Amino acid sequence: MADERSVNPQAPTETLPLQPYGSVSDQIAMIPLHYPLRRRWLIGLAASALFTLLLVVAIGYLFYAGVGIWGINSPVFWGLAIANYVWWIGLGNAGTLISALLLLLSQQWRNSLNRFAEAMTLFAVFCAAMFPIIHLGRPWFFYWLLPYPNVMALWPQFRSPLVWDVFANVIYLLVSIIFFYIGLIPDLATVRDKARGRLGQVFFGVLSLGWRGSAAHWQRWRRTYRICAALAVPLVVSVHSGVAMLFSVGQLAGWQTTIFPPYFVMGAMFSGFGVVAMIAVVLRHTFRLDSLVTTRHLDLLAKVLLASGLITSYGYIMDAFTAWYSGDPFERSTLIDRFTGAYAWSYWSAVILNFVVLQGLWFEAVRRNPVLLFLIGASVTTGMWFERYMLVVTTLYHDFLPSSWGWYVATFWDWSLLAGTIGLFFFLFFLFVRFLPMISMFEVKEVLREERVEARNARSQ
Amino acid sequence: MTSFPPADRPPPNDPTTGTAPDLAALRRRLESGGGRRFWRSLEDLAETDDFRRFVEAEFPAVLELSETSRRTFLRLMAAPMMLGGLAACGDMPDEKALPYVNQPEMLVPGKPLYFATAALFEGYAQPVLAETHVGRPTRLEGNPDHPMIGAGSTDAFAQASILELYDPDRSRAITFLGRIATWDAFQGVVVALRERLGENSGGDFRILTETVTSPTLRRQLDDLQRAFPRARVHSFEPVGVALRHQGTRRAFGRPLDVHYRLENAAVVVSLEDDIFGPGPSQVRHAAQWSQRRRDHQQAGNLTRLHVAESTPTLTGALAGATLSVASQRLPVLLAALAGKLGEAGEGTPAAALTPRELSWVSTAADELAAHRGSGLLAVGAHLPAEAQARAHAINHALGNAGATVVYSDPVGLAATDDAGALPALAEAMAAGEVETLVILGANPVYTAPADLDFANRLDRVGLRIHAGIYYDETASNCHWHIPLTHPLESWSDARAVDGTASILQPTVKPLFGGTSVHELLATLLGRLNATAYELVRETWDARLGGEEAGWRQVLSDGFVANSAVATETPAPQVAAEPPATDATDATDAGAASGLEAVFRPDPCVWDGRLGNVAWLQELPKPLTKLTWENVLAVSARLAEELGLGTGDEAELTVNDRSVRGPVWIMPGQAERTVTVFLGYGRSRAGRVGNDAGYNAYAVRTAAEPWTVQDAALRRTGERLRLATTQNHATMAGGDFVRTVSVAEARTAHPDEPPLPTFYPQWDDPKYAWAMSIDLDLCIGCNACVLACQAENNIPVVGKEQVEAGREMHWIRVDRYYEGGLDQPDRTLFQPLPCMHCEKAPCEVGCPVNATVHGPEGLNEMVYNRCVGTRTCASYCPYKVRRFNFFEFGATDSPSIQAQRNPNVTVRARGVMEKCTYCVQRISAARIEAQKQGRAIRDGEVVTACQSACPTQAIVFGNQADPDSAVSRRQQSPRRYALLRELNTRPRTTYQARILNDASDEEA
Repeated sequence: MADERSVNPQAPTETLPLQPYGSVSDQIAMIPLHYPLRRRWLIGLAASALFTLLLVVAIGYLFYAGVGIWGINSPVFWGLAIANYVWWIGLGNAGTLISALLLLLSQQWRNSLNRFAEAMTLFAVFCAAMFPIIHLGRPWFFYWLLPYPNVMALWPQFRSPLVWDVFANVIYLLVSIIFFYIGLIPDLATVRDKARGRLGQVFFGVLSLGWRGSAAHWQRWRRTYRICAALAVPLVVSVHSGVAMLFSVGQLAGWQTTIFPPYFVMGAMFSGFGVVAMIAVVLRHTFRLDSLVTTRHLDLLAKVLLASGLITSYGYIMDAFTAWYSGDPFERSTLIDRFTGAYAWSYWSAVILNFVVLQGLWFEAVRRNPVLLFLIGASVTTGMWFERYMLVVTTLYHDFLPSSWGWYVATFWDWSLLAGTIGLFFFLFFLFVRFLPMISMFEVKEVLREERVEARNARSQ
Repeated sequence: MTSFPPADRPPPNDPTTGTAPDLAALRRRLESGGGRRFWRSLEDLAETDDFRRFVEAEFPAVLELSETSRRTFLRLMAAPMMLGGLAACGDMPDEKALPYVNQPEMLVPGKPLYFATAALFEGYAQPVLAETHVGRPTRLEGNPDHPMIGAGSTDAFAQASILELYDPDRSRAITFLGRIATWDAFQGVVVALRERLGENSGGDFRILTETVTSPTLRRQLDDLQRAFPRARVHSFEPVGVALRHQGTRRAFGRPLDVHYRLENAAVVVSLEDDIFGPGPSQVRHAAQWSQRRRDHQQAGNLTRLHVAESTPTLTGALAGATLSVASQRLPVLLAALAGKLGEAGEGTPAAALTPRELSWVSTAADELAAHRGSGLLAVGAHLPAEAQARAHAINHALGNAGATVVYSDPVGLAATDDAGALPALAEAMAAGEVETLVILGANPVYTAPADLDFANRLDRVGLRIHAGIYYDETASNCHWHIPLTHPLESWSDARAVDGTASILQPTVKPLFGGTSVHELLATLLGRLNATAYELVRETWDARLGGEEAGWRQVLSDGFVANSAVATETPAPQVAAEPPATDATDATDAGAASGLEAVFRPDPCVWDGRLGNVAWLQELPKPLTKLTWENVLAVSARLAEELGLGTGDEAELTVNDRSVRGPVWIMPGQAERTVTVFLGYGRSRAGRVGNDAGYNAYAVRTAAEPWTVQDAALRRTGERLRLATTQNHATMAGGDFVRTVSVAEARTAHPDEPPLPTFYPQWDDPKYAWAMSIDLDLCIGCNACVLACQAENNIPVVGKEQVEAGREMHWIRVDRYYEGGLDQPDRTLFQPLPCMHCEKAPCEVGCPVNATVHGPEGLNEMVYNRCVGTRTCASYCPYKVRRFNFFEFGATDSPSIQAQRNPNVTVRARGVMEKCTYCVQRISAARIEAQKQGRAIRDGEVVTACQSACPTQAIVFGNQADPDSAVSRRQQSPRRYALLRELNTRPRTTYQARILNDASDEEA
């Protein structure tokens, strides 16, 4: 561990310990080519495949029987499926922010994190994108939400936040895939060149699109990559604002509030960084990548987590304040119900897991401790799930007329979708770490190069 | 799902599992002789296990199917039933089907044809117009031309009888000892029976009927009586009016029907008389009261109700604050009331009453005294005959008789004396005096009081013949079962509660075969080939003079003009002696060792006869909003004492008999009274009604059929799941049901200005449909709910789904309590259809334009376009939208599908639906108007809920027309929009309830 010194924002050179370029390639490119932990990987893959199978069964039965297999009812027409959707799409936020926003801001430390963060985003958005479709009463007509030309001259209803959600989601997913792939190309070429087996050579050769690393390639690549990044950043905002509008366009107490769009963007970032922190800690430990993902990376992640968590908690406070300040009896009763009602456990779980635990990150020792950071990341990820659950259920189960008040209990099939999508996420992630370079080699080398130059400059002075 | 053949049985011809028959052994057996042998197959011959298994698999026991759920069963059986249904359409020779060459007159596909007929409830006619589509009755409407007040509307029972007609569980075949037999065989039995009866002039022959109002049936029974003079006709009605007759016998010396004239009553004092509760007179009473109430809203005719009751009723709910008091105390209260009014007999000393009772009695007495001739003292039919007689005497003395209450000879043939009642029959059966018993429609094995031990005594009858539309508990205990035709599919006649006779004409050919009850009687009378039409015609030709024109007029009108019974106002013959007051000390009231148990018919399935009508099972009971279940209603205090909560199972023991049922904490229940609801716990109702709830008849006795003392309630520790459609009983501080004082109701207040909105105004349309619901007139009777269900093809979802909160009713009646749990100040009802908001939140949410705003202000649902995001329902502040969580509609059996309204789409799984303001009726009216080149007239579009409402609480029309009824309603100072602050601008608006109880005016 090279980085025991105090953090100096003026000195990005301290991000990585100095090491030969070749060792970076060897460390990373060797993982897909000669996977080190085959046994553990297989066990992990099998376990996650089992849950993915559960997902397949859950969706199959859902399509066969209808959404009545869930716990939803009148008045709680939306349940776990929507909560899961909002949660997954929120997790996806971090990858795009790390990759695109920090790229545009030239924050070099991102280079060790962006690849797996992007992969995480991709898989999370994929999990999220399933929900709007399987959530439909008639999923086979999902394409009616898309504005396609048809003989009936029917368009979607453009005032609906769902339509914009669909647009934002689809574009976000596409841009995420493209961005991820473009960023992968130079590394794919590296792996291709290192591959000994015919299969690997062909596989990575096809994927790397004939990358030779010429100056012209680099020049075009760099332009494309930055354009994609510039596209992705506003999409992050639009996606989560859209999700927020899903709630705040309704007139229900606890939903109709103007703070929701920024609140959701920040909440998404918060939960996303929680997941990235967890993944970073796990990958770093498993593949002994301490020299590439350093404690400084963990420290930076923790700081972003803390900052976004504090903004999210501001959202909580303002949400409660405006509910009280509005004087609206329904808003107030929903607020009080969240504090003390039948689903108060979801509210307080969210508050404790998100904000109380988070306060540990004020201490540098905690930020730099991988185990503690992992636990806090897990706490935030879980806490944000509770928040999504709370937002969906507490508003719906007690709305305006007491005669229509109900309750909500998720069924086995609700839970199996959550477990199944988590399984799918892990399944995809296992495939990712096995077959693709999980850290961006060329970008790490770029950082190393800069650090060397700086070191040389420092020596020559 | 049942796999077929069951998985554990290998198919017989499977070479891998089946053992090949031992051919050598077979040959030996064949050669060994033993006479001529026939064999079907080698397996048969060998009598192998495989063959036996094959037989089992080929003809699986029906039991196997009945283990599956009802819905699965229906799904599985859809195809066979469809074929069965077709086969039951009559003998259908294999022939070519050709379209009509000459279209029969008036049979136009797409155009409904109406027949004036009547539905039957407890034997009384409920005059209806049956809407038929190409020969298929789909819906019943009230008959507005009928002379009985309220006949233009219908109650829930009348609405439900259309579903009963199509019930696939109706019996379809004559059975003898449970096996299918033939009508010819039965006629053979009757011929032999007649021979025997001719010899002993019917001395051991009995007939058991329900209430009979049919003139034809009465004529036939009279004929039978003449033919076999020693035969006896018994009649039994588990609820019925027989007890009312006991009261009038006591007062006037003869059985009389009691007819209230609530339109003349300024003050009604009810001692547990559920005037507005379900029953044959509900519609009439509601309409009478509504007439007076509407006057009251305008001019100030007083309509005030004072109710004392042991268990809450709709009458009590309408009265506002009631006195909840044990049923056994009512005679004491009556005596006190009599004393206050200075009537004959000793008044109960004031000391014997609690302060609350005393205050109630003095208020009631003062009001009655102040409104001589326009007051009414009503006592429940289940009170002791002495008490009823006393009330008649008081009404007479106050001059109310003749004004607010009149009498008539009984309309129906019910047991008029003890000898004609069920206990006499049971005793005769026990004594072996009954050799032949014919049961017409009644189901005494289920409904007879437990102490009569009816089922066992029935076994001693030599020949038992049951005729009914269901193969019910009684049918299964009889030798012969004759399936009867439903009142809507055969010729018959009946009288309404006011005595007006109606001819029941068939609206469809008998769906499942069956015999008319008149044909059955004719057979017993020796006329083997008379048709129901001939028999009914004979009755009426004798009365109407046989003119074809007169007959046709009667059929077209739906009633026989001027056939109502003559009313009279007899003077009480005997001075009502004071009832035998077991006037225990007031402080001691009910606090004796035991509890009081009172029996009440279920508000939805009544005495159990409607148990297999799914609409009624799923209809939320007016006060509890429970479905598919009966409960033991207890007071909060008693529940507290016993540590019971709603849904806890308890065991009620009455006279060493006990039942177990779930407890329901009923606000306003008398403290130590347990209410037991009849009509559940049936074993042979059919697939819908079987095994729902507990059987209250198991603890009912013939001696004390309504009120029993010394009952004991015990907690069992089990918890049962109840399916209720409303979990929260209070308004939680809101003012969703508004109430105003009399003064406020009459002073106009400035209309609240509309709140600003971002949304554009809609164009000024020619028609702007709107609905107004007057909460001051709503009695919470549920007629609208079922009328809507029948009109709009609303599926039944079953108990589990109701429990999950997925009921589908497009209009619901919300019930709120105000005040304390023990004695709520008020019980308020609020029918809630779609509000058809002008700025509808749902329309904003839908991503696919499946719910859109129509040009005339309807919030329209486009089912075909709906993908089921449920955003609209989530956004709906009124939660009136209903979602097809499963394939609710399509799994109904084909015969039930035949009931469906062809003008309303049957919604598929995954689709949202809700009240449409009966858009199909608007379209029909528009087409008619366009054909005639005019605008749609006010009142031309009548929604289903509106047409059923007996109090005319619901008004629908064009609010763009300032003269329309709905526009006039909207001028009312009582008008308000529900959740106005959300600025949804609902087209459905309400009118606040007027408080005019004495207590309110004092306050």
